[in-house]
Amino acid sequence: MAEPILACRDLTKRFGGLVAVNHVDLDVEQGEILGLIGPNGAGKSTLFRLIAGIMHPNAGTVTFAGRRITNRSAHDVCVAGVAATHQIVRPFRDMTVLDNVVVGAFFGRRPRPHGRAAAREAAMTALTFCGLAQRAHSDARALNLSGQKRLEIARALATRPEVLLLDEVLAGLNPTETDQTLELVRTIRSHGTTIVMVEHNLRAVRGVCSRIVALVNGSKIAEGSPESVLNDEQVISAYLGTTHA
Amino acid sequence: MDLVSTLISALLVAGLYAAMSYGLALIYGVLKIINLANAGFLMLGAYVTWWLFTSFHVHPLLAPLVIVPLFFLFGWALERTLVRRVLGSEPIISLLLLFGVWLVLQNLAYVIWTGDTRSIDTPFIDATVNLAGIQLAVPRLYVFAMGVLVLVALQLFLTRTYLGRAIRATAQDRDAARLVGVDVERVNGIAFGIGIALAGFGGSLLSLLFSFTPDFGRALSLKSFCIVVLGGLDSIVGVAFGALSLSLAEAFGVRYMPASLQNLISFVVLVVVLIVLPKGIVGTLRALRRG
Amino acid sequence: MDRRSASLAACGVALAAAIAVPFVASRAEYALDVLFLVFLYGAMATAWNLLGGFAGQVSFGHAAFLGIGAYTTAIFSQFGISLWIAVPVGALLAGVFSLVIGIPAFRLRGPYFSIATIGIGEATRLIALNWTALTGGASGLTLAAAPPLVVQYFAALALCAVSVALAAWIKISRFGYALSAIRQDPDAAETLGVATTVAKTQALFLSACLLGIAGSIYALHYLFISPDSVFGFGTSIGLVIMPIIGGLGTVTGPLLGAIVYTFIREQLAATLANADLLAFGLLLIAIVVFEPRGILGIIDRLRRGEKPPAEILPSADG
Repeated sequence: MAEPILACRDLTKRFGGLVAVNHVDLDVEQGEILGLIGPNGAGKSTLFRLIAGIMHPNAGTVTFAGRRITNRSAHDVCVAGVAATHQIVRPFRDMTVLDNVVVGAFFGRRPRPHGRAAAREAAMTALTFCGLAQRAHSDARALNLSGQKRLEIARALATRPEVLLLDEVLAGLNPTETDQTLELVRTIRSHGTTIVMVEHNLRAVRGVCSRIVALVNGSKIAEGSPESVLNDEQVISAYLGTTHA
Repeated sequence: MDLVSTLISALLVAGLYAAMSYGLALIYGVLKIINLANAGFLMLGAYVTWWLFTSFHVHPLLAPLVIVPLFFLFGWALERTLVRRVLGSEPIISLLLLFGVWLVLQNLAYVIWTGDTRSIDTPFIDATVNLAGIQLAVPRLYVFAMGVLVLVALQLFLTRTYLGRAIRATAQDRDAARLVGVDVERVNGIAFGIGIALAGFGGSLLSLLFSFTPDFGRALSLKSFCIVVLGGLDSIVGVAFGALSLSLAEAFGVRYMPASLQNLISFVVLVVVLIVLPKGIVGTLRALRRG
Repeated sequence: MDRRSASLAACGVALAAAIAVPFVASRAEYALDVLFLVFLYGAMATAWNLLGGFAGQVSFGHAAFLGIGAYTTAIFSQFGISLWIAVPVGALLAGVFSLVIGIPAFRLRGPYFSIATIGIGEATRLIALNWTALTGGASGLTLAAAPPLVVQYFAALALCAVSVALAAWIKISRFGYALSAIRQDPDAAETLGVATTVAKTQALFLSACLLGIAGSIYALHYLFISPDSVFGFGTSIGLVIMPIIGGLGTVTGPLLGAIVYTFIREQLAATLANADLLAFGLLLIAIVVFEPRGILGIIDRLRRGEKPPAEILPSADG
C-alpha cells in the first residue's frame, strides 16, 4: 500500500482539563474521500484545525507527503498543499466573489500566478468548477448560504491543494443543494485532490466517502468502509446515546 | 521606614488608580467595547468639580453628589444615541467613535477652560495626618478609602441586586441573558451610564490630588488600560489587583529611573502583559484554576 | 473613454496643474504655502493609510516615524551633513524602528494593537523629551537653513505623488490583496496561505519610511522642531483623521482628507485654539456613525443612487 498522503500520529489537544483530541492516529490515502464523523463535541473540527495549522497540538505529529507539518503556521500548511474550509463560512465580505478567490489563487501552493490577470483567470477556473462563474462580480455578502459555502470551497481550491479539508460543508443546505455539493466534491476528487470531510449528514457520507473514521470524545472508535463503520455498535450508541438532533 | 512609606504610598495610589479604572472594566465587560473616552470623562469630572468649587463654592467632597447622576445621564444618553449604533460593527468602529468623543471632550475643555493649569485649594487638600509616625496627606487617604468603598459597593451591587445580576448575566452571555428575560438594550444603557459615572467620580477624586489641564487624560488613560488588562479586562476585583500591581511597579521603578519616564512603566507593562498574558494576570489565574 | 483611462487622465491633469502653480499662480507665495501643506499631509495620510486603511491596523502613534525623520534631518543638518544623506537615513531609521516595535506589537489584535500604538507614540515623545543630549529636550532643535519654498513645494508634491502612485499600485497587486484579506479576516487569510505577520510588517515598514521622509520635509519647512510638535499626539490624531475623512482604505481618500483637514485647520486655527481638533472630533463621530467610508463613501452612495447599505462594514449580530 502506498504511503498515506496525510498521516497523524498520536495527535493530542487539551483545553484546560478537557481532552479534545486524544492520541489520534489517522491515515489519509491519496485520492480518497475520507469521512470524519462523530457526535457534537467529538473533536472533529479540532482535529481539522490541528492538521491545518490553525491550532497546535500538545503532542503528536502531522505528516504531509512525507514532510512534518506539525506546529507550522496555517499559511505554511496551505502553501505546502493542505487547504481547509471553515465550519462557519468566512467570506471576505468587502470583496467580490471573484476577488475572494483571487486571494486563494495569489497565495497557496506554488507555482503561483504572476499578476492580477493571471490570478483572476485561475480564480475564474475555480469559480466555474464550483458553479459560481455567473456570480463572479457580485459582492460576496450578497450570496446565500449555499453560494457562500461553494465560495468557501472555490477559494480553498484556488490554493491548488493536494488535500482539501471540508468542515461540515453540507450543514444548513437543503437536499438539492446537498446533492449539488456532493457532486462537486466527487468532481474535485476526480481531478486528483484528496478530500477529508467532517460531516453530520450520515446519508451523504455513506454515498460519497470511500472510507470513514468515527471519533467520540476525542478518540477514534471505528475506521473502515462506510458499511462497517455506520453499522458499528459503538458508533450507533454514540449517536443515539447523545442529545444529537 | 523608607520601604514602608513607599509601600503605603503605592497602596494609596492604587486606590486612586482603581477608582479611575472601574468604569472601563464595567463597560468592556457588558458592551465589549473599549471606552477610549474614559480619560476624557475623568478629565471632565475633575473640571466640573473645580468649576462647582470656584463658581458655586461647592466643597469638592460634595461634588460627586452632582457629578455621579449627571455623568450617569450623560453616559446613558451617549449610549442610546451613538454607541448603540456601532455595537454590532467591527471593534475598530466603536474605538474610533469613542476616540472622537474623547477628542470632543478634551478640546471642548480647552475651549471652555483654556489650557491653564487648574487646581483646587481648600484646607482639606492641605491637611495631613500622622499615622504611626508617617505623615500622610488626608486627601490621599480619602481617595484610597473611596477606591475601596466603590469596589465594595460595586461588588454588592453586582451580586445582590437584580439589576446588578442582570448586568453580570449580560456580560457573561448576552443571548442567554436575553432568553431569561433580561432587557439587554436597557442593561447596555445603564451599564454605560454607570461606567461614565464612575469615570466622572474618579475624575472628581483626581482633582483632590493633582492640578490638571485638559490634556491630563492621556497619560492616565494608558495607565487605566494597563490596569484593566492586568486585571483581566472585565473583572472589577481584577481592577483592584491591577491597580495595586501597577502602583507597586511604578513606586519601585521610580527608584531606578528618572521620574519623567515613570509613565513609560505603565506602557511597557501593558505591552508585555498583552503579549505574554493576553488574559491578564487575573484571567490567567482563573483559567489555570479551572483546568 | 473607459473609467480607468478617465481616472488616469484626471490624475495627469491634476499633476500638471500642481506643477504649474509656482509659475502661474498670482499669489504664488500663499498658494505654495497652502498647497505645500496639502501635499505633505496628503503624503503622510496616504502613508498611514497603507497600514491603517489597507491592512486595517489602526495606529494612533504613527507620529513616531514622522518625528524620527524630522529629528534625523535636524541633527544631521546641525553637523552640516548633506540632505541627500540625512533624508534617506531618516527614512531608514524610521523603518528600522518600525520593525523593532512591529514585531511585538503585531502579536496584538485589533483594538489592543491600537491601544499599544498610543503608548508607542507617547513613549517616543517621552524619550525625545528626556534624551536632551541628542534631541535638545523640550527646547527642541532649530535648523540653520532650508531650501527655498519652491523646492520644498516640489519635494512635498513629489512625495505625495509617489505615495499615491504606490498606494494605487499596491491596491491591485498581490500584496494589496493580502492586506485587504488581513483587514477583513486575518485568520481566514492565514488558511489561504497569506503570511499575515510578514505582510503587516511590510506595510508598516513602508508607511514608516514614507513618514520619515515627510518628517524631514516638515523639519526643513518649519526650521524648528520639538517633541510636542513632531511626536505629539495631535500629529498622530491628524494622521488617523485624514484618511477617515476622505475614505479609509482607498487610494485617493487620504489626499482628499488632507485637503479637508488643511482647509479646516486654516479656517479655524485663527479663531479659537483647539477649535480645529474639536471640529475633527465631531467630524469623526459623524463619519463613524453615518458614513464610515468617508467622502468617497458618500460619493459612491450618491453615484449608485441608493439608500445607505445596511452595514458598510461587516456586522456581527448585535
